[in-house]
Amino acid sequence: MPLYDSASSSAGSCSGSSSSSSSSKPPPPPPLQQDIDGLLAVAGYKIRSSELRQVAQRLERLETAMGNSPADFSQLASDAILYNPSDLAAWVDSLLSEFAQPPTCSSEFIPGPVNNGSTTAESHTPPVQQNITYEQRTLDNQLTVVTATEEDSGIRLVHMLMTCAECVQRGDFSLASSLINDMQGLLARVNTVCGIGKVAGHFIDALSRRIFRGIGGGSVGGGGYAFESEILYHHFYEACPYLKFAHFTANQAILEAFDGHDCVHVVDFNLMHGLQWPALIQALALRPGGPPLLRLTGIGPPSPDGRDSLREIGLRLAELARSVNVRFAFRGVAASRLEDVKPWMLQVNPKEAVAVNSIMQLHRLLGPDPIRNSPIETVLNWIKDLNPKILTVVEQEANHNQPSFLDRFTEALYYYSTMFDSLEACRVQPEKALAEIYIQKEIGNVVSCEGSARVERHEPLAKWRRRLSGAGFRPLALGSNAFKQASMLLTLFSAEGYSVEETEGCLTLGWHSRPLIAASAWQAVAEAGSSAACVG
Amino acid sequence: MMQFTETPSRPLHQITPFSIPTMNTTNQVHQARSWPGFPTAKGLASFGDANCMEQLLVHCANAIESNDATLAQQILWVLNNIAPPDGDSNQRLTCAFLRALIVRAARSGTCKMLAAMASARCNLSIDTHTFSVIELANYVDLTPWHRFGFTAANAAILEAVEGYSVIHIVDLSSTHCMQIPTLIDAIANRLEGPPMVKLTVPGVSKDLPPMLDLTYEELGSKLVNFARSRNVMLEFRVVPSTHADGFASLIDQLRLQHLVYAETSEALVINCHMMLHYIPEETLSPLPNANSMPYTFEQSPNQSLRTMFLKALRGLNPTIVVLVDEDADLTSNNLVCRLRSAFNYLWIPYDTVDTFLPKGSKQRQWYEADICWKIENVIAHEGLQRVERVEPKSRWVQRMRNAEFRGASFGEEAVSEVKTMLDEHAAGWGLKKEEDDLVLTWKGHNVAFATAWLPA
Repeated sequence: MPLYDSASSSAGSCSGSSSSSSSSKPPPPPPLQQDIDGLLAVAGYKIRSSELRQVAQRLERLETAMGNSPADFSQLASDAILYNPSDLAAWVDSLLSEFAQPPTCSSEFIPGPVNNGSTTAESHTPPVQQNITYEQRTLDNQLTVVTATEEDSGIRLVHMLMTCAECVQRGDFSLASSLINDMQGLLARVNTVCGIGKVAGHFIDALSRRIFRGIGGGSVGGGGYAFESEILYHHFYEACPYLKFAHFTANQAILEAFDGHDCVHVVDFNLMHGLQWPALIQALALRPGGPPLLRLTGIGPPSPDGRDSLREIGLRLAELARSVNVRFAFRGVAASRLEDVKPWMLQVNPKEAVAVNSIMQLHRLLGPDPIRNSPIETVLNWIKDLNPKILTVVEQEANHNQPSFLDRFTEALYYYSTMFDSLEACRVQPEKALAEIYIQKEIGNVVSCEGSARVERHEPLAKWRRRLSGAGFRPLALGSNAFKQASMLLTLFSAEGYSVEETEGCLTLGWHSRPLIAASAWQAVAEAGSSAACVG
Repeated sequence: MMQFTETPSRPLHQITPFSIPTMNTTNQVHQARSWPGFPTAKGLASFGDANCMEQLLVHCANAIESNDATLAQQILWVLNNIAPPDGDSNQRLTCAFLRALIVRAARSGTCKMLAAMASARCNLSIDTHTFSVIELANYVDLTPWHRFGFTAANAAILEAVEGYSVIHIVDLSSTHCMQIPTLIDAIANRLEGPPMVKLTVPGVSKDLPPMLDLTYEELGSKLVNFARSRNVMLEFRVVPSTHADGFASLIDQLRLQHLVYAETSEALVINCHMMLHYIPEETLSPLPNANSMPYTFEQSPNQSLRTMFLKALRGLNPTIVVLVDEDADLTSNNLVCRLRSAFNYLWIPYDTVDTFLPKGSKQRQWYEADICWKIENVIAHEGLQRVERVEPKSRWVQRMRNAEFRGASFGEEAVSEVKTMLDEHAAGWGLKKEEDDLVLTWKGHNVAFATAWLPA
């Protein structure tokens, strides 16, 4: 169940039931005394939580009756006005009695499993804790209706997650821990294979790690790269289009920027398996006028087991370049952190046209201390000094670096549930499972880490624009080719639901109009003359 | 900890030989995707852009067929950048194939509908031109592509119909009777006086380019008038019929006539010009419902419509059959095979067009649009919709022999007429004589063949 949709519930539509969760602020905690359902209360309907089940059943009966006798319904529609929403149960009953036909449903129902665990720790939050049972009632016309639906439980989970996060922010860890227990109980009854259950599970994990391991202690996604993260990255690359979009959009900009230059140098801030580069090499090979001399400098973490993985990848790329007649040279720079790289290590030749390529790396440089000289400024400065023809920047389009933990948490819940939704369309295993773990690690870092361990400090495009402009870069519009390619490739090969948008020369890829990843291109504002093409 | 690694600056000599990355359709968990490389066996000397583009197209087709979305996306991205629609002839050829692959991908079950493509701002429609008679007449004269077949066929026909007072021509041609005026002219100049000419056509195939803006009735009356101006009596008849069922109604009509007019001295000429390759053959399976079999004589369920059509022709005991068609094999059910064959044949029209049409001219657009249509049909369509089922000369020769025809040689006159015609065009065109047959070549590559047949 997506967070951002107002979920249309199955039974006769308690229409107020979910729309409250689509706003960014969590609903206020339910009043402890009245046993009124908190979520419906926000929508203006007062109904006792204990009566929820009966009312839902009656609404279903009402719906069936309406369906069976539409003539009566139109009469009803003009007669029935809900004057007093505070008594929803009575109103439904009165409507039901208006119908000539007795309800056609049988009143038998099959109680589902009752979870005992959830009734513990009731003293803290009674209205949130319900004896939630699944009921299934089969009507004569073969309708199977689930009353206390999974969606219901899903909404409650979100509700509880927000409450828990707010407790964590306040420092009320005992309340937070009990909420964790409750949520895990609730999770047992929700479908965790897809939808809200899956992503909620990850957030519950991350929250508990934050609570129980202390702030900053988690090693989840901590500053360095890990070997297995390459494998996860690779599967994330295959399972969904975000990284592919990043690569071909950045490549399009780089290819166009290199037009007319005979010596070109690409600096890749995170080489991984070099997945981005074969396509660029082939496009350069066949460009009119022939290929340039291409140098690629790939930055990546040192290999743990003594292998030189950067060199291996460099050799494979060199082999490809040779097969398409592109003069090619590779250089690997192994660094545990991007800020440890110094520009002299890149050995940039002043006569080359340089492209600096950063796919989801710049946000790692946003240190915890915004006042002092953070690594981002240092790095942006030396990038500027290289005077690159183009700087391609792809970043997650999310505000996961806000000072308030609750704000970050809420944003992350929205962002990652959208991303998980989009992943549903992927049918390939183990790509999908490993991609989920990849995302899960990001969630873990955003939620449970702090200080220098929290590296996933995503900021939205608007912020990056200000930052990069302030650092002496001017934006380069990505151009219509990039947009057309992105649109075409996504339409052809990705599930319906992805959308490519263009805003002020930047491209974003999103799921159902929520942008999730943003690509932009930059050039240093010229101080001296621009780089000359190399001779010969 | 800093490490620097560098590849040797001269990778050609110093690189340790790696196994060539082969086409991987499944990913291994702990190994990065292999990039389909170019076989280095081809050698660097003979490495050409066209070769490269063909390889990319082949890899792309493979990726689409095996639902490898990632690889297909990567290659399509490259192709989009290296094959602009207004580039050189190789680029335009590649662009047309790229377009066809995109159309194919958009049609297949796992990918999007073409409507969605439209919303992605990809213009995939082809603007084929609908010609007027004058335009079409000029068009077919621009290049030997059709003139070769016309010239050779007309020469053979003239020789075969000597002495007959009635000539019945059945014109199965993709060019809407453009061959006929020249033939009528030649017939009119016969020493023994002009005969009566009956012209029967199967009616217009609306979907096949080049397309005509006249109805066949209008076309027919123009031809009758033209013939009259040459003192030839022309009877024009349309028997609505389609290649899709092997021109069944036409065959029936002819058979009827054959029975009725068997005694008269009427020469029956079957002129097939680039049309027979639209009749479904053996790779199109399953055949249409056996109950709806168009032919009324005994048929074996294993025979294709193409085989049955030729048999039916033989049953008419024609005076001569002329078979002209394109010399290529576009019938494979394997997409990659078909793509290779099509790429290695259809580069020719793109290559020749520079010699007779200036860049940017409307006619060039029409010409290339028609080739584009052909490429899309071969690559993006399957089943009955894939009508471009071109077979090479060797296959047709075998078919005709199986249908109990024997080859008739083209005389010296025919050969010299063709040569004279070729001299009017660019130097790259050539003529080959292969036993009884004539073959049109461009820079040494086979383009089209002309064969003549008599009942055996």
